[in-house]
Amino acid sequence: MSDTIELAVTRYRPEQDTQPWEQRYTVPCSDDMSVLDALNYIKDALDPSLSHRWSCRMAICGSCGVMVNGEPKLSCKTFLRDYREAGVLEVRALDNLPVERDLVADISGVVEHIEAVKPWLIRHSEPPVDTAHSQTPAQMARYHAFSQCINCALCYAACPQFGRNPAFLGPAALTLAQRYNLDSRDEGSSERMPWLNAEEGVWSCTFVGYCSEVCPKDVDPASAINRGKVASDINYGVNLFRLLRGKGDA
Amino acid sequence: MQGYARAAALCVLGGANAMNQQQADIVIVGGGGAGLRAAIAAAESNPGLDILLLSKVYPMRSHTVAAEGGCAGVIQAHDSLDAHFDDTVAGGDWLCDQDVVDYFVRHATEENLRLEHWGCPWSRKPDGSINVRAFGGMQIERTWFAADKTGFHILHTLFQTSLKYPGIRRCDEYFCTDLLVEDGHCAGLLAIDMRSGEQTLIAASAVILATGGAARVYRYNTNGGIVTGDGMALAYRQGVPLRDMEFVQYHPTGLPGSGILITEAARGEGGVLTNREGYRYLQDYGLGPETPPGQPQNKQMELGPRDRLSQAFWHEEQAGRTVATERGAAVHLDLRHLGEQHIQERLPFIRDLARTYINVDAVHEPIPVRPTAHYTMGGIQTDRHTATCLPGLYAVGECASVGLHGANRLGSNSLAELSVFGRLAGEQAAERAAQGLAVDPQRLRPQAEAQAAEREALRRANGPERLAVLRDEMAGAMEAGIGIFRVPAQMTATVEKIAELKARYQQLGLKDGSHAFNTEWLQAIELGFLLDVAEAMSHAALARQESRGSHQRPEDFPARNDALFLRHSLARQQQGGATEVSWQDVVITRSAPGERHYGGKATGEAGR
Amino acid sequence: MRKPWQPQQPRNWWLRNPAYRRYMLREATALPLLLYTLLLLAGIVQFSRGEAAFATWLSWLQTPAGLLLQGIALAAALLHAVTWVALVPKILVIDSDRLRIDPRHVLRAHQLGALAGNLGLIVATLWLLWPTGGA
Ligand SMILES: Cc1cc2nc3c(=O)[nH]c(=O)nc-3n(C[C@H](O)[C@H](O)[C@H](O)COP(=O)(O)OP(=O)(O)OC[C@H]3O[C@@H](n4cnc5c(N)ncnc54)[C@H](O)[C@@H]3O)c2cc1C
Ligand code: SF4
Ligand code: FES
Repeated sequence: MSDTIELAVTRYRPEQDTQPWEQRYTVPCSDDMSVLDALNYIKDALDPSLSHRWSCRMAICGSCGVMVNGEPKLSCKTFLRDYREAGVLEVRALDNLPVERDLVADISGVVEHIEAVKPWLIRHSEPPVDTAHSQTPAQMARYHAFSQCINCALCYAACPQFGRNPAFLGPAALTLAQRYNLDSRDEGSSERMPWLNAEEGVWSCTFVGYCSEVCPKDVDPASAINRGKVASDINYGVNLFRLLRGKGDA
Repeated sequence: MQGYARAAALCVLGGANAMNQQQADIVIVGGGGAGLRAAIAAAESNPGLDILLLSKVYPMRSHTVAAEGGCAGVIQAHDSLDAHFDDTVAGGDWLCDQDVVDYFVRHATEENLRLEHWGCPWSRKPDGSINVRAFGGMQIERTWFAADKTGFHILHTLFQTSLKYPGIRRCDEYFCTDLLVEDGHCAGLLAIDMRSGEQTLIAASAVILATGGAARVYRYNTNGGIVTGDGMALAYRQGVPLRDMEFVQYHPTGLPGSGILITEAARGEGGVLTNREGYRYLQDYGLGPETPPGQPQNKQMELGPRDRLSQAFWHEEQAGRTVATERGAAVHLDLRHLGEQHIQERLPFIRDLARTYINVDAVHEPIPVRPTAHYTMGGIQTDRHTATCLPGLYAVGECASVGLHGANRLGSNSLAELSVFGRLAGEQAAERAAQGLAVDPQRLRPQAEAQAAEREALRRANGPERLAVLRDEMAGAMEAGIGIFRVPAQMTATVEKIAELKARYQQLGLKDGSHAFNTEWLQAIELGFLLDVAEAMSHAALARQESRGSHQRPEDFPARNDALFLRHSLARQQQGGATEVSWQDVVITRSAPGERHYGGKATGEAGR
Repeated sequence: MRKPWQPQQPRNWWLRNPAYRRYMLREATALPLLLYTLLLLAGIVQFSRGEAAFATWLSWLQTPAGLLLQGIALAAALLHAVTWVALVPKILVIDSDRLRIDPRHVLRAHQLGALAGNLGLIVATLWLLWPTGGA
């Protein structure tokens, strides 16, 4: 068992480079060292010019996503010990996203998708300031998993449909729409429906399912999207029915 | 080194016209709970305003996301605002401004309810009403929680809600480096667009600082890498005092090594602390009598206040009764008696953290924990309406000292603070912005360019000193001198060390001369901020010659001294750089300083 | 001064990751099924062209190529059924104030349904074709 491990990091410095290239670093390897620890070690001790994002180091802020040996991972929640056998870790910026520099992917497109689906509680009337809506634990359980998303974008790196078409709203955004649609306090699902139904909405998903495998928070976006398809179908059916009865589109 | 030369050339070419310029009615620095709440409040109170929310990370990355335990607000029928007031003031060792505490307890619940209206998934009772849990130093359960990810849910709820206001626009990944002051008013700021490295001047009628805490001045801490006291230093450099900076809270239960937090809620739910002999040592430190495991009593044993618990650990360590782990001394936080189902329902994140980071399953084994630096009670001095002494500049959240926390913050008061005072700051700034006090950005240009040139010089600095080395020396010195217990020789040594590091900082050399997402450059600027904060902390600590709350000097001044120090410290940077400490009276309205009672003695107080 | 690198999705993206390969395999099950459908169609056409033609078709089914095709089709059909049925609980979630069904039961119900349907078909076929049976 060696006490060092090699990291093959894909570098890209927009001011110097015309395309990405690989740089190798040897870092110490102990049982409790995460990939993030290794990157910080490189930054502090070997090469201060390496850029990567991080903050909380406890898998909750969603900053530190990278590809590790081809899989999207939170670097703070991925440990060198699991790669001892392999000997080398290939680390690169998240797939399917433009690379700003080194390991820093441009996630602005993902954030725009998240903003697009009206991810806030929509009510026809505000309740009085001094009372809470009632919501039983069972009602909360219906959307709870979908509210755990930390916007890390690993699922976007995992999604070949997003890789093919960056306009696809993608796993986290569509999940967030479902999160509010399933909230017993929300009355806005009809306002979000055009987004789900749209060309770039749920129907762009072919249920590859890898997004749910890589999600570090067990959000299960694949399920959210495909339940969205059911909702979209029902919505279509209802509209058709109304149309046939001459009541116009809802 | 060809790259380096080329990058430098690019910058010269960029030259004079490299600066971007923007204007807004209000600019808010910081997208954490405080900044987002302020933005929403400003947009609600005046939908016509142009509100710019600027943050060095995407808002949902802000460290509010890491808060686990909960958010205070009186809601139970047998609880009262007075009780919350008393707990907060006593918890703060009477260094709280009582008018501020009064305002706070009256508005906390309303703000929690508003978060509920915006979709925050507060944990519920079976009948669908809000559930609350016990928290350290609180005599009655009044801590609202969303499982053990309260901060995460609050932050995402606020971020998502902020999206529905067209008046709020954002500059994500913009790093504020300087405040711009014109005619004695704060008139805007200078920021780096991190993606391009370009400097941007932003003129505004009002600036709100909501940049969070500074516990990254310590080696072992519960804070994210971005929690570097930027706002505090920005204000300090403009001569705005930093208040009560000596009060830094150590959280009694961080993971050894990393410092990752194991929430107090683990004790609120019934977890117990034991030393190497399996003995619940807190009963030896005035927090007893021992309560049965799994049946926590408010303000007793494990639910004593954080300063006392951290201090008890220190004594146990001195006595050699701590558990030795690979990552240093620790005690055990035992949750096993709670059972798998309860742990999974109430503390799932804690279980996950312990499993991931130290390979311990809390269902079957106790979690090793130790105190780690956690929270800065002090901050930018503001009045009770969040305004600083620099007109046009407001501060709110952990970076501010509005006078709420005194010498020791009670867990769960700070998340509530974000909403209560964030809202106030937003409304105050909106009012000011409506008066049309904006300065023509062109007039700010000369000073902005001078400051931008300084930042550029740092980017190209090629001295002998290394960033990581200075940072580690600072963190070590703060741990040694301004830690849980403070001894005179080490405090002085720390003050000297910080001065030395500030001098060496001028000799920094950076390896990366590029513009795009140059995190070495940004970290160097952050280190400059950290050193200023460390300086204010260490000077204030030396000046406060008593022991109060989280500031303990067992050797030279072991007791509280109300005659001399029932006052806030104000650390101010003089023209020319020297730090001066002065004092400000505490506002006392109805609770005269008394003794803090915890453990068995506290029960006499309950219900008062 | 930004110059982000725009990655292109490689043509062979689906070869690069086991999860993608599994996905492609699931999607690819449609192909053998298509072939098998064509095969059956051919059978019907042959049947309409008389007994001799139908007999050739039947005997072709017993050649190694025919057996191979049927084997592959059977495997593909099974894989297709198993993988899609496994996804059902993620799509069909019955959870409202009035009615809640445990996802495991939804899965079991579909598995049993699929099994019963297939067994039923087999039994029915056997019964129809058995020399002394329905014919
Ligand atoms: C692990 C942990 C657990 C906690 N648990 C609890 C709890 O259970 N209950 C409780 O009440 N409190 C808790 N706290 C305390 C509480 O979470 C914090 O005090 C609070 O979240 C701080 O919020 P904030 O909005 O002031 O700052 P933050 O959330 O830290 O946000 C700061 C913002 O400022 C921005 N910023 C900073 N510097 C710059 C710059 N130079 N330029 C541009 N932007 C900048 C950052 O990008 C960020 O958006 C906890 C704290 C920690 C660390
Ligand atoms: S759904 Fe999961 S993988 Fe996707 S952004 Fe959210 S937390 Fe990350
Ligand atoms: S550093 Fe926050 S999620 Fe990894």
